[in-house]
Amino acid sequence: MPEPPVGDRAAFVVESFGDAALLVTLGDRVDPVLAAAAQRVAADLDAFAPTHAGFGRAVPAHASVLLPFDPMAIDVDAATALVRRCLAAPGSGLADVAVSPVPVEIPVRYGGSDGPDLAEVADLHGLTPVDLIDAHASATYRVLFLGFAPGFAYLGGLPAALATARRATPRERVPAGSVGIAGEQTGIYPLAMPGGWQLIGRTDARMFDTARAEPALLRPGASVRFVPLR
Amino acid sequence: MTLEFLEGGLLTTVQDVGRRGWTHVGVPESGPADPWSHAVANLLAGNNPGAATLEMTLSGPTFTAAEAVTIALAGADLGGRIRGGRPLPSGRSHRLVAGDVVELRGDPAASLSSLARAYLAVAGGVDVPVVLGSRSTCLGGGFGGFEGRPLQIGDRVPVGVPGRAFRVELVWPSPDPSPATTERVLHVLPTSRPGLEELAGRSWRVAAAADRIGIRLDASSDRGGDDDVLPDLPAALGGETLTHGVPWGAIQLPPDGRPIILGPDHQTTGGYAVVGVVITADLAILGQLRPGAPVRLATTDQGTAVAALRARRATLLAGAAALRDAAGWDLLADAAGG
Repeated sequence: MPEPPVGDRAAFVVESFGDAALLVTLGDRVDPVLAAAAQRVAADLDAFAPTHAGFGRAVPAHASVLLPFDPMAIDVDAATALVRRCLAAPGSGLADVAVSPVPVEIPVRYGGSDGPDLAEVADLHGLTPVDLIDAHASATYRVLFLGFAPGFAYLGGLPAALATARRATPRERVPAGSVGIAGEQTGIYPLAMPGGWQLIGRTDARMFDTARAEPALLRPGASVRFVPLR
Repeated sequence: MTLEFLEGGLLTTVQDVGRRGWTHVGVPESGPADPWSHAVANLLAGNNPGAATLEMTLSGPTFTAAEAVTIALAGADLGGRIRGGRPLPSGRSHRLVAGDVVELRGDPAASLSSLARAYLAVAGGVDVPVVLGSRSTCLGGGFGGFEGRPLQIGDRVPVGVPGRAFRVELVWPSPDPSPATTERVLHVLPTSRPGLEELAGRSWRVAAAADRIGIRLDASSDRGGDDDVLPDLPAALGGETLTHGVPWGAIQLPPDGRPIILGPDHQTTGGYAVVGVVITADLAILGQLRPGAPVRLATTDQGTAVAALRARRATLLAGAAALRDAAGWDLLADAAGG
């Protein structure tokens, strides 16, 4: 698919995705600029195509937005036309996509039983565990979008030298708060679940809490830093 | 008023119409795997069709009601009965008296093509706290429903006060718009990603890995019995893509060529190629597939998909109207002393 310039919203691809959703595709690569553009499009669609008109909440990801709708309330052609009008409307641009200047700090206990794969991952990269901790904790990460599990943030910004393949055999249960690396991504398991990420540490920060007005701790656009606990 | 559980069953969860509006932070919608039977059970119990019910899987719970109450069953027949008393068939409401013990142990005569899930509605609805706008259980997140988990022995599940309780026992009047057949057919809309035609030409069987998150399909040999033969699909069909939002019913094709069809507890985003999406009207069929069930995928178009959904809704409304008439007539007869 030809990649439209990020600023040219009218060139984004809008297609039906089943009988009750549209998929808006902005591009086909992992890129913080595209992810921020997807967040902006989702926010515009949520305002432009509200639930009372038969639309569901938009789901932004790396470079796309899924927009559910009720096919009994609005037909697919009308829904598509409305999305195209929204995309063609003069947007407020991408420069002002919210990026919080103050990073959210995630305190992490690296290694030991909290990060059982730390030594092995360090070894793979020819680093000492301390070097690996320093590299992981000195980078600033950006929340690209949330998905996969309640409160799970896809983070961009892992130093290329730390990219590590997933474990050959996933663990049946990864404890909540585990900090891991999978491919070119780092992330925090918000809940206990099965998973194949390389676990290097663990945080006590509650990544998702239904008792909070905003249940997810990390929001798209936020900066994130990991702070090693000694 | 509470229901006290003497056995939880294989997987019994509280479900209302689902948790809308939190998918952007990774929260699955949840809700009944078979929305049709969920609505039918509620209407039979005199509830709003979206009230919270109990979704039961293959083998249901045993519970006792502290007070007289109307319940209704829809979907799979779990061989329900009152302990030491009468049978409680699916597709109708039942009046319980205080102390009745209801057993829903599962149907010993069930076959692979029998329905997998049953819904128990109680007049007044299951009254668990609303979490993020819904009473549905989020099993992955451990919240919503009854303490965020399946029911187990000793649980006391609260029931709301009925707005209207039909004092008569009612039978669902409309035929199921998709009666059970040996091989279930799921109608699917293609996406721009190729592959659906290849899948639609084959016979499949629901793999053992089947839950509310999704079901795996295995190739089904025409000779029958040998479920381990992987389909000879062109290697380039499946694969990984840039992670994007995915709807319930999406058919993912991972690199191993074994399709996954997403269920109501599916992850909000996915990174496998989506080659098609099951139409909304057929999600009720998808939610009733048992492990081992033979299934076929049939390509359709948007117009047919919407017509099928409209027909389902019309059937539901007609059923609801017939129930009101039946109940009204009986209440009138009651009032007249007849």
